[in-house]
Amino acid sequence: MTSPNGSVLRPAASPGASSPGGASPGASSPAPAGEVPVDWRPSRHARRLLTLAAAALLAALLTRNPALAGVAGPPLLILAMARLTGSRPATLAVRAGLTSTRMYEGEPVAVDVSAADDVDDLRWVFAPGKGIEPGSAVAVNGAAARFAFTVPRWGKRAVGSVTLTLYDRWHLTEGRVTVGLPSVDCYPSPAVQRTEVVLSKLPNRLGEHRARVPGDGTEFNGIREFVPGDRQRAINWPASTRRGRLQVNTFAAERSQDVVLLVDATTDVGEPGTSALDLGLRGAAGAARAYLDGRDRVGVITYQWGGAYWLAPSLGRRQVYKIIDVLLAADTGYARGAVFSRLPRAALPPGALVVAFSPLLDGRFVEALRDMRERGFALIVVDVLNAEPPVRRRFADIAARRIWRMEQQAIRFSLRELGVPVVPWDGGTPLDLPLAPYTRRRFA
Amino acid sequence: MSETPEARAPEAQAPAAKPVAPRAGIAAAAGSRLAAMLLGAACVTWAATPLLAAGWAKTALAVAIVAVGAGALRLAFADLPQPEDQFFLPGYVRAWLAFLAALRALAWEETAVVALLFLEVQHAGTSGHTGRPWHTAALGAGLLGYLLATHIAESGAAPSALLRRHGRLLVAGACLLALAAGVATIPAASGGAGPAVLRVIAAVAVIAATALVLPA
Repeated sequence: MTSPNGSVLRPAASPGASSPGGASPGASSPAPAGEVPVDWRPSRHARRLLTLAAAALLAALLTRNPALAGVAGPPLLILAMARLTGSRPATLAVRAGLTSTRMYEGEPVAVDVSAADDVDDLRWVFAPGKGIEPGSAVAVNGAAARFAFTVPRWGKRAVGSVTLTLYDRWHLTEGRVTVGLPSVDCYPSPAVQRTEVVLSKLPNRLGEHRARVPGDGTEFNGIREFVPGDRQRAINWPASTRRGRLQVNTFAAERSQDVVLLVDATTDVGEPGTSALDLGLRGAAGAARAYLDGRDRVGVITYQWGGAYWLAPSLGRRQVYKIIDVLLAADTGYARGAVFSRLPRAALPPGALVVAFSPLLDGRFVEALRDMRERGFALIVVDVLNAEPPVRRRFADIAARRIWRMEQQAIRFSLRELGVPVVPWDGGTPLDLPLAPYTRRRFA
Repeated sequence: MSETPEARAPEAQAPAAKPVAPRAGIAAAAGSRLAAMLLGAACVTWAATPLLAAGWAKTALAVAIVAVGAGALRLAFADLPQPEDQFFLPGYVRAWLAFLAALRALAWEETAVVALLFLEVQHAGTSGHTGRPWHTAALGAGLLGYLLATHIAESGAAPSALLRRHGRLLVAGACLLALAAGVATIPAASGGAGPAVLRVIAAVAVIAATALVLPA
């Protein structure tokens, strides 16, 4: 498994699981040093010493006690020396870089910061942005520092900022520099899928799936009598000897299929991190990876308010990241006046296998599935609903919950009646398990 | 700073210094934090003995205990990040965040210093005009150590390097403390023109310190 930027990653764990301290982040990109102005001001230490001196002197004045005035002596001495011998740079060269700006959920990333080497007494404090989990303490002293962090949930995230505090020789004045960090793209952690659902009727395009028709593949299909034009190397000599006439081996054709992943982003229910949309995106990312590894052409459609975002089926490793980029644009927010548009024809080639990831909560999406099935598409629905209405003791709530359950069962039953299998998936197990009945034999 | 990894320049060179990765958890800088807490507790104990029941002494003692305790908690929770604005948080999380914000916003060490000095004044008032000069001098040394330890704990600075720089000043300050305590023990020093001169010197020192600490 490779990361979006090409580095080797750990195998996909259960979605949402973070890996603090797992794979260590690599080197950061060398960013140029920028001279930034330093904002100098009295430190908290100086204010405390001044408070001690002032309080002691005031008490000495009021009580006429010279011993209390003596208490003010040491802090005043330190303050005076700092004033007389202080030297502070007006600007400072600071570098900041991330080890990666694109990562999967839970993948460790680090931000490297460094300042000019001739400055002593530096303290770096990392202020993580929303949705960023620091992997260690957020403050450290030194000329350079590395802060590890993870992003537990997919999306575009602002990493936050790093504040650099410089101290003078006596630590009585401090200069502050705040370095803003770029945002990162966190991709949904792909679900594990090693097997594929293969259609019984494959389009006439070269691929790796064994078709039922004879062709130029490598899988043995049968034996027939030799006709002029057959290759001699295909002659089956034992069979020819037994039958007294020349027999040749025939082989099965190898074809590829079109797979369209349909993600329902109209509703997002459940706990953040394991919500229906999270499971849908992780499942779609895992399925895209599995089918593209099998040399199939894979496309994606995210169905949401305000229209559908889609990517036409295509081949190759880059298609995985194009698909995940489309998935990142998934938005469950309700837009006033937005309507569902019809699914785009270009995104749905004839004879394609459609794998839909949906909690089946929106009636219009269910109607779209029925419509596709009636148009002849081979369709599998992965049910990612993993939440239910809250349990309450009132009779009306109990009745509403039962009605809701029956309604959900009816939706799934009606789809099965149309020949659309609905397989539940909890996000924790590999996708191979729920799809096992359809990966062992050809899917019609 | 607007430089990002995307905005790379070919002449950019990697920093020479080896990056330091912060240690995880509360164990980081535990020694200096513990030292600051112990010094604060020692100062409170030193200023509070013998226990006074009169006047505002009890109030000052309570304020000092709360301030030293809150300062210790602030240091202990210094590594916990303050999350950005979040919505729909449960009540206990909001209460915890408000507690953290209060710990970090208020000047606990300054409050403790003022309360302890007030407590010392109360003690001096009960034990004569000049009070107990050597006791006061020791409290002054303890307070300075408390403030230094607090700063070392919160800034993460190396204690040895910082104390080496402050070494001569601290010795000179100790001499000043001893001198003041010694003067206070001489009965003649508290009468005549002595207090007036002391007031003038003190006022000049306050003005000078204020001018010195303000940024240029």
